[in-house]
Amino acid sequence: MKKLLALLLCVCMVLAFAGCSKTEAPAASASDNTASTDTAKADDSASDDAAAEAPAASESMVYTDLYVSEVTTLNYLIASQAWDQESAANTVDSLVENDQYGNIIPGLAESWENSDDGLTWTFHLRKGVKWYDYQGNEIAELTANDFVAAAKYVMTSENESLTFDQIACVKNARAYYNKEVTDFAEVGVSAPDDYTLVYTLEQATPYFLSGLTYTCWFPAYGPQLEELGTSFGTDIDKIYFCGAYILSEFEPQGHHKYVKNENNWDADRIYITEINRIYNAEAETLAPQMVLRGEADACSITTDIVDDWKANYADYLSKERSDVMWSYFYTFNFNPTYDESYAPADWSIAVNNSNFRHSIMSAFNRAYSITAYEPDDPESIMQQTITPATFCNDGTTDFAAQSVFADNAKLFYNEATALEYKAKAVEELTAAGVTFPIQVIIGYKSGDTDWENECILVKQQLEGVLGTDYINCVLWAGPSENFLAETRKAGKYSIMRCNWGADYIDPQTWTDPFDGKDNINEETGKCIGNTYNRMDSYLWDEDKAATAPETAAALKEYYDKVAAAKAEVTNMPARYAAFAAAEDVLLENAFVIPYYTSPSSYRATKINIFDGQYCPSGVSNYRFKWLKVADHYITMDEFEANQAAWMEGFAK
Amino acid sequence: MLKYLAKRLGRSFITLIIILTIVFVLMRQMPIEGYFPNFDKMTQEQIQNGLKLMGMDKPMIVQLFNFFKGLFLKGDLGTSRIYRNNVAVTEILGPKLPVSIKLGSLALIVALLVGLPLGTVMAKYKNKLPDHLGTAFIVFIEAVPAAVYYLFIQLYGTQWLHIKLIFDINDWKAWILPVFSLSLGNIAYYAMWLRRYMVDEMTKDYVQLAKIKGVSSTGIMFKHVFRNAFVPMAQYIPTSFLNTVVGSIYIESLYSVPGMGGLLVDVVKKQDNNMVQGIVLVFACVGVVGLVFGDLLMVLLDPRISLGSKGGHR
Amino acid sequence: MGLIKHPKIEQLEQHCEEALKGTLDRMEGKFAPDAFEFAEFNEQEAEHRGYSDYSYWGSTFKVFCKNKLAVALVIAVIVILAFTFIQPYLPGQYDAFVVNNDPTTGVPLRNEAPGSLHWLGTNSIGQDLWSRLWQGTRTSLLIGLAVACIEAIVGITVGVLWGYVRQLDFVFTELYNILDNIPSTIVLILVSYMMKPGVGTIILAMSLTGWIGMARFIRNQVIIIRDREYNLASRCLGTPVSRIIVKNLLPYLVSVVMLRMALSIPAAIGSEVFITYIGLGLPATVPSLGNLINEGRALMMSPNLRYQLIYPTIVLSVVTISFYVAGNAFSDAADPKNHR
Repeated sequence: MKKLLALLLCVCMVLAFAGCSKTEAPAASASDNTASTDTAKADDSASDDAAAEAPAASESMVYTDLYVSEVTTLNYLIASQAWDQESAANTVDSLVENDQYGNIIPGLAESWENSDDGLTWTFHLRKGVKWYDYQGNEIAELTANDFVAAAKYVMTSENESLTFDQIACVKNARAYYNKEVTDFAEVGVSAPDDYTLVYTLEQATPYFLSGLTYTCWFPAYGPQLEELGTSFGTDIDKIYFCGAYILSEFEPQGHHKYVKNENNWDADRIYITEINRIYNAEAETLAPQMVLRGEADACSITTDIVDDWKANYADYLSKERSDVMWSYFYTFNFNPTYDESYAPADWSIAVNNSNFRHSIMSAFNRAYSITAYEPDDPESIMQQTITPATFCNDGTTDFAAQSVFADNAKLFYNEATALEYKAKAVEELTAAGVTFPIQVIIGYKSGDTDWENECILVKQQLEGVLGTDYINCVLWAGPSENFLAETRKAGKYSIMRCNWGADYIDPQTWTDPFDGKDNINEETGKCIGNTYNRMDSYLWDEDKAATAPETAAALKEYYDKVAAAKAEVTNMPARYAAFAAAEDVLLENAFVIPYYTSPSSYRATKINIFDGQYCPSGVSNYRFKWLKVADHYITMDEFEANQAAWMEGFAK
Repeated sequence: MLKYLAKRLGRSFITLIIILTIVFVLMRQMPIEGYFPNFDKMTQEQIQNGLKLMGMDKPMIVQLFNFFKGLFLKGDLGTSRIYRNNVAVTEILGPKLPVSIKLGSLALIVALLVGLPLGTVMAKYKNKLPDHLGTAFIVFIEAVPAAVYYLFIQLYGTQWLHIKLIFDINDWKAWILPVFSLSLGNIAYYAMWLRRYMVDEMTKDYVQLAKIKGVSSTGIMFKHVFRNAFVPMAQYIPTSFLNTVVGSIYIESLYSVPGMGGLLVDVVKKQDNNMVQGIVLVFACVGVVGLVFGDLLMVLLDPRISLGSKGGHR
Repeated sequence: MGLIKHPKIEQLEQHCEEALKGTLDRMEGKFAPDAFEFAEFNEQEAEHRGYSDYSYWGSTFKVFCKNKLAVALVIAVIVILAFTFIQPYLPGQYDAFVVNNDPTTGVPLRNEAPGSLHWLGTNSIGQDLWSRLWQGTRTSLLIGLAVACIEAIVGITVGVLWGYVRQLDFVFTELYNILDNIPSTIVLILVSYMMKPGVGTIILAMSLTGWIGMARFIRNQVIIIRDREYNLASRCLGTPVSRIIVKNLLPYLVSVVMLRMALSIPAAIGSEVFITYIGLGLPATVPSLGNLINEGRALMMSPNLRYQLIYPTIVLSVVTISFYVAGNAFSDAADPKNHR
């Protein structure tokens, strides 16, 4: 019996092993193939290195780097996260593109015109653009119908596109999404012929073109979309490409490989022929080491090791192009929902007191806490307005330089003023029955070291100026996943650094986060307010408004001014001035404290980023076309020279 | 014997179902915000629609029934929602499982090939230099967090071997360091316990008798002491295989090994229910089957143990 | 598994009863009056025989003290623990939470190498690492102790019942198979959803899954000893189960339980490092060895900053080794077989 068992076990094991090898065999042979091509490529690049002294135009140019966040889907029509859109930015072209300075230039559309009423946009498409599969086989020609099919896909609620809101400005888009309109012909997207595309909008939108570089406006091969439905873009054999690169290998949690699309209409200006992106969950720690060993061409250098690199590897160190796509600001939460033990009722009273808000705003030494991101020159990324400087201009004046902001310096860091405000606030709040110190919950995402450090600095600095008898800052680490849903959107903080990314190039985009009129509590039927600082709950909810008439009045002024500004669609200077006046209300009342734009962090890279496309909205910043891999790492001097040259071009 | 096996496997099967049920219910206690990346921008209708698409609008019992129906009738584990949108769970796990199994098996084999001789040598030269060296090694591995020494091994090991920092599945050299690092913990474990069991065994009467009878000391060591001491450890081998596969999270993220070590943590955090269920199913299968294999191994190695119908004296 | 009473034990019980009955029968009035002689009373001898200076804990302590290394390490742990409490009150110490600014520029003193001002240097925002190290050690030790105690209490209770009460064995074994296979990550994440991140949460989360291993260990030990002769005898004499457990089983388990507890303290500290690594640990505002090591790991590749990893690792290793060696020495000492 025992012998039998032994035999049985042996057979089992052998079978198991055989099974293993069987399942592995095809994979192994497939990867063998890729291995051989890999080595071939490696040889190429080696000879390339040798020939680097005298570069020729048609040489191969390989770029390798690491990434931390894996693509969750290749389906660019539904994806909203940056790392998901990055792949589409390089593999699918858009109607219009941006040049190095953010100007709109022709892409798949060679020309376009807008109707006089501003409602209809007609695009004339480039001829001869083809779709390719991941192996580079030609599939079909790209036509205007592919844009219509893609738009229909995004507007179909079953596909659960996360970016529908950006395309909702098209006529009847929302009605179709909500199934109020069932015939897609009534929606404002149409293709009169293969090379003409017409968008009809709900209302005149002056910034329409700048939004088109978001992936929800991208084309997708219609028949394939029809056939695959929700499984479109789930793997590389379920998607076609028409862009600068073709995603030829896609192994999640492994690597991505892009090869140049030689037939792209812009192929002459696609210099990098192969992009290898390798996944590593600890890329922040490992990538710098890989750069030093020459195994990667770029990596970001985190703040905690930047001093060490400056001392030891200064030749490798340069920076990222500063990016004004994101604006960061501190908000006061007007409708807190956190635990009773932190006295949210007291906070609610305090936050409606103008002197209290101003005391915090004046006491806040932003340059000090920004050192958590930008140790050397914190002022360089600090912002005095929510709309970042250089983000947009009305033709002559930059938005942040509008005259209404001119006297705002008095609002910011000044310890003496802060103490004056404090004295007034203490008096008024004591009368209102508030217990001191006031508990101030500062939220941040656990696991985000820089943010955590920033909060430590903020706490220490604010308490240092205002005294712990006045405020007691409590650092609250929100969960690392679903962070926003659990903190900001749930109202579980007192003050917090929030951010917003531009959806298009127009000051209106910076009013969107504060639009919360429709955010209604299901149970009480009352307005909760916007998902940022919930301040408008004091405007739309009459019971609340009665408790804080000052706040309500200031808010009414803001929302009235925003509405007025939105209505101005023809005269740009007037529109910009109106938006500036609205934004100034938020600042003068200390509802929001502007903070900084995306920090321009340190990098080691062989790429001169200023060669590439630039735009503070859309996906142009992710595009690799026009970029070149240098034979050395860009030094700080080179970076500064490149930046200066770019600034000059930008100013024009 | 076969009847016993059948009974045992049948019971394991029920255990599996209960585990899956519990995990299924637990995962549905998570807040629904987690299922929608842009929860705040969605209307109540859209949320309901989303839940309906996931089948989560129905009562829990019905959801559970549908899950098991899909699993048993079609071998369908559903599709991932957040980790890789709309891709079938089996399709995601398919290529990852063999990598993990290969890594885990290699690490286990290395651990046995190094750990067992180390333990034997330590026992044979008890309280002499080899024993002290071995103990120092074991204490080091136990005391220093793996997170730390793995990094050092990667940093200097790759330099020393002249290979890339990051794993390449097609390069055999790239397997060396991950496998070696992963086996260190088990080497220490096997060496420690084998030494302990062998030392206990060596004082027993039958060993004295064998010595008196003139059996060579090597003969005693291998024929008697080692074999007897190995029995209690054999049971642990399948479990340690599972632990190695699951515990490879550090190694897999350091070297970018495309396995499934860190996957569970990742998908639980992302609330990708179908993925969690799929991975738990795989791990629980390995775990439960491992227990059965462990028992069988013991029976094979120790003639005194039998798996009779009486059962129960393990 | 053990649901049916073992036939051998039934046999034995029968044997015992028969033997006892037989002896009693034979004793009844069967002795001749001259079968015994009176012995002379000797006071010295009586004293000699009746006195034993054996005390279990005394002997344990004595045997333990013979292991010089273990004693030294226990003292080291006690000193470390005491020091973590005393350290903040010593003169010239920096607050572990305060960011130290450069007095001239007002900018945080980031990544200062160890020196006379900051003995172990500062971290990446300028907090004093020496203070943070001791704060962190305290947090981690407290977590370890709390988890070990909870594990011991719950684990022993469940384990003894599981092992001794045969009717419960099936239930517990199946329960174990299930619980042991539920990934602890799920439990951890659920707990962290329900409570806010902090020391309490982490203790609860680790204890929720940790007791299972302890219970199984105790159960195995109990099964080994429950059918030993002296327990059999107790059972035959009708001692209640609760008394057998408390008086017969638990004392025997002291040594293994102590060993297990001594090992579970460093294990808890180690899993804190792991939990921090997967992003479910304490916020960095609460220093702990896990946090310090993970912060240090990020800087590992820069040799100049490696001190931020080395020091917490050393403390962690010393604590681990101490508990490990001391636990082994104590379990040897607590075993009455070694009391000679």
